[in-house]
Amino acid sequence: MKNSSSSRILAPHLAGLYRQAAERYESLPAFATRKKAREWEPISFRDLYERGRALAAGLIEMGVEAREPVGVFSDNRLEWMIADYGIQLCGAVNTPRGTDVTDDDLIHIINQAGIHVAFVETGELLDKIHRLRGVLPELRELILLRPSHKPRSEELLLEDVIRRGSEKLAEGDDRVSERMEGVRSDDLFALIYTSGTTGKPKGVMLTHANVMSQLEAIPLSLSCTDRVLSILPIWHIFERTFEIYAISSGACNYYTSPRTLSEDLANVEPTFMGSAPRLWETLHHRILAGVKKAHPVRRGLFRIAYFLGHHYHESRFFLRDQDLQMRPPRIVVRIPLKCLHALRMVLLLPWYGFFNAAVLETVRRRAGGSLKYTISGGGALPVEIDQFFNYIGIPVLEGYGLTETSPVLAVRPEGKLVCGTVGPVIPGTELRLVDPESGKTLYPDPEDPHGGRTRRGEVWVRGPQVMKGYYREPELTRKVLDEDGWFHTGDLGMVTFNDALKILGRCKSTIVLSNGENVEPEPIEMRLCQSPYIDQCMVLGQDRKFLAALIVPRLEAFAEAGFVENAHADLVGNERARVLIQKEIRTAMGQGHFKRYEYVREFRLLPEPFSAGEELTNLFKLKRHVIEAKYEEEIAELFSPRAGSSPEDKA
Amino acid sequence: MKEIEGQLLHDVDQILLAVMILIIMFGMGASLTLNDFKTVARRPRLVFVGFLSQFGFMPLIAFGLAHVLNLDPALAIALILLGCLPGGTTSNMFTYFARGSVALSIAMTTASTLLALVMMPLLLELYTPGFAREIQENLIAAGGGGEVEFVIPTANIVISLLLVLLPVGGGLVLRRVSRGWAKVAEDTAGFTAMIVIVFLIVTTFARHLDLVRATPWQVYLAAVSLGLTGFFFGFWVSRLFGAQPIYQRAIALETGIQNGPVAFAIILLSFPEQAVQNQMVWLGILYSTFVVISSSYFTLYLRKRGKFDWEVYQNTMIHRRLFGPGYETRYPEGYLPPRIAGDPAQGGLEGE
Repeated sequence: MKNSSSSRILAPHLAGLYRQAAERYESLPAFATRKKAREWEPISFRDLYERGRALAAGLIEMGVEAREPVGVFSDNRLEWMIADYGIQLCGAVNTPRGTDVTDDDLIHIINQAGIHVAFVETGELLDKIHRLRGVLPELRELILLRPSHKPRSEELLLEDVIRRGSEKLAEGDDRVSERMEGVRSDDLFALIYTSGTTGKPKGVMLTHANVMSQLEAIPLSLSCTDRVLSILPIWHIFERTFEIYAISSGACNYYTSPRTLSEDLANVEPTFMGSAPRLWETLHHRILAGVKKAHPVRRGLFRIAYFLGHHYHESRFFLRDQDLQMRPPRIVVRIPLKCLHALRMVLLLPWYGFFNAAVLETVRRRAGGSLKYTISGGGALPVEIDQFFNYIGIPVLEGYGLTETSPVLAVRPEGKLVCGTVGPVIPGTELRLVDPESGKTLYPDPEDPHGGRTRRGEVWVRGPQVMKGYYREPELTRKVLDEDGWFHTGDLGMVTFNDALKILGRCKSTIVLSNGENVEPEPIEMRLCQSPYIDQCMVLGQDRKFLAALIVPRLEAFAEAGFVENAHADLVGNERARVLIQKEIRTAMGQGHFKRYEYVREFRLLPEPFSAGEELTNLFKLKRHVIEAKYEEEIAELFSPRAGSSPEDKA
Repeated sequence: MKEIEGQLLHDVDQILLAVMILIIMFGMGASLTLNDFKTVARRPRLVFVGFLSQFGFMPLIAFGLAHVLNLDPALAIALILLGCLPGGTTSNMFTYFARGSVALSIAMTTASTLLALVMMPLLLELYTPGFAREIQENLIAAGGGGEVEFVIPTANIVISLLLVLLPVGGGLVLRRVSRGWAKVAEDTAGFTAMIVIVFLIVTTFARHLDLVRATPWQVYLAAVSLGLTGFFFGFWVSRLFGAQPIYQRAIALETGIQNGPVAFAIILLSFPEQAVQNQMVWLGILYSTFVVISSSYFTLYLRKRGKFDWEVYQNTMIHRRLFGPGYETRYPEGYLPPRIAGDPAQGGLEGE
């Protein structure tokens, strides 16, 4: 039997990785595209590589130079990957973005990166680019990715470029091999424009060495028998790195979409899946909704099973020191506690064993049934959801990282799965927590008796995954990347007593109330979103006396509660809805998690949900300034003296 | 061995047991479909290996154990009876978690349950007469006189079997009517079995603590060994016959795990003689207890051992499901162990 982790391919650069993957995995499927629920089309590692090579030859023929940024404006599809193979094999730089890109961003990206050649997925996007042609002086050629679209005039079809390239290769054109040999590991493999929460998108320069270091350091083990279900945008580094990880392990990537997710989970039975917290929240809601609708006997069985799973795993975590340790562990207390936990675990074991087999297994099958583990990243996973999946036996390895760090900085491996944290930093990465004001290092601090643990500070990191800088933005680069190589993440974090990193929020999103109290809005927002009636929300209150929230109601829940209104706008003025939400907020606040000044005292229902690309980044993080600008009036009203006083009296 | 005073099982226990048997057999029926019978037809060799293990080796093992451990005749008969039993539905659940072929497990359970109607009387006829005579001699010696006659009540056994098959038929019908309710019946059966077994063990142990102490070690050893030896034989015999790993695991578990409730039904309905019945029930309880524990551990062992080939099997089957039945998954040279290298789908019994 082969050790799966040792069979992973490591190479100095992506082009080499792609070639080795074709040599080792040959006819195994690398990617699969859904045609129908049970009809998928695979492409083998060999075919993908050969097509990529032909495309690379075609691109060279078109005049694409080594180290030149090439645009890829497309959502997830196989052709994206072929385009990437082509770009990597001719030594160019993949500069990706989704099809929902705004005009401003598009112009900025194409002009700032100096893109001459771009792949475009859809006809609509083509039209858009044609419309903007006048302000895109350097853009020369467009290649259409979607095969069903007929080219209008000057743009090429992907197949044409591949055909032209194959002809060149057949003629003995050896420029692709030369280009591949010329790739250095500190060349860029991607230039990713971050949809940051503020300002214009910045081009993050990521090198081959950056991403290759991730393959070595991420504590996963995938193999040729693994199936990875991919749902996040491929142009985002999180998805990108994990797809590269899958390629290096010989696993097959299956592209799914939010619409077909349930079906695809059942048919593909993925063994691994990486996604943003949002997906786990959706799955969590779906599972609970399924339980609610189930036969009372089954519902009862589920409750018992979850109860047993909860207590069993809680004890297991405690015995393995995987509990959240916010205070220095005291042996005198811990040893007797451990004995009690061991006793509880032994007593629960036979019952848990049975219910795990009979009940939790069917619940897990809703998520395909074969998930060995999952990774959540790109935002904080609410602790409840985290625990839910871990207690029902689907380990969630929460990770932490940024586009600038390709992306993984920390992830909790299976043996060190501390719920509520993102685990230790991965090997080869150094961590520092720094006081954002004084610049003093809070962790590690040899003078502190606990080494600086549980002190809160800005997360600084140094390691092989940290970007080269922002493209053509030395000023901005200097702001986040100091001369010693430390990258300042702008996130607030702390280290627990079992050496797991806990992320507390963005340094900058901290709300300072008028009384000087600092509030992190994220935990409050997460808590509020636990309510089935609240889909999205944003907490505000900078320089105000109290906190308020903008709330997007969850329509399904309201429909189930008997509301006839079926649009967000209709619920805005609804008194019953207001009372209901008010109650939900009070329950959410009243569980002892928050200090008094952290209570949300006022709220407004919003007439439309936040959408990705607009009010949210593509990983569903709030763009606070955008929302604040959009709902300026509502916010002003929220904090007007009249609105402020009444709920306080009630609360 | 010391005689047990009065009844081992009180009336309440007996009723409980009867209800449990009813629910379990009903749940068993609810878990079966006609397709399972087709599976049997498609894989005659594997089912034959299973048949050989269940009705060939198991009774022989039981007979051998009874002799080697020199058991009391009533216990010996009980052990042989346990050895001749058809497979139980619990084996299907264990097979699922042991990463074995659930389809084969269900097929074997189905086949053996039906075949038991013929095989059990035959096998009991073959293995038990010696012990039955011993019991009769003991009874006569104890002063029962000439009119005491102890024979294996073959007709009663067949009737008991037919009786327990009735709820199975009921379950089959329910499955056709409503899949959802069938699933509920299946789960309820599993849960009931566990609760009742635990209840019986606890009460019997509490009431008859002296019995626990008085039972010679040979009896415990016999109760433990029957299941374990079954696992062992099933595992290696199927291997000898060239069964792929996933079927090997299914056959091993199917062989070792017998349908305990059927045994209780037969004992209670066919062996009215109090002293004999008590001893037989006691062994039944011991076997049921130990087999749950040993198969749990055995399942964990199989699950670990079978992780790699199961992942290969599953991945290959999913490729066929999604990419078309003709899709051939070729793993890198040397990636697969020689045993499954030729056919990573390992027969593909569950292929759709």
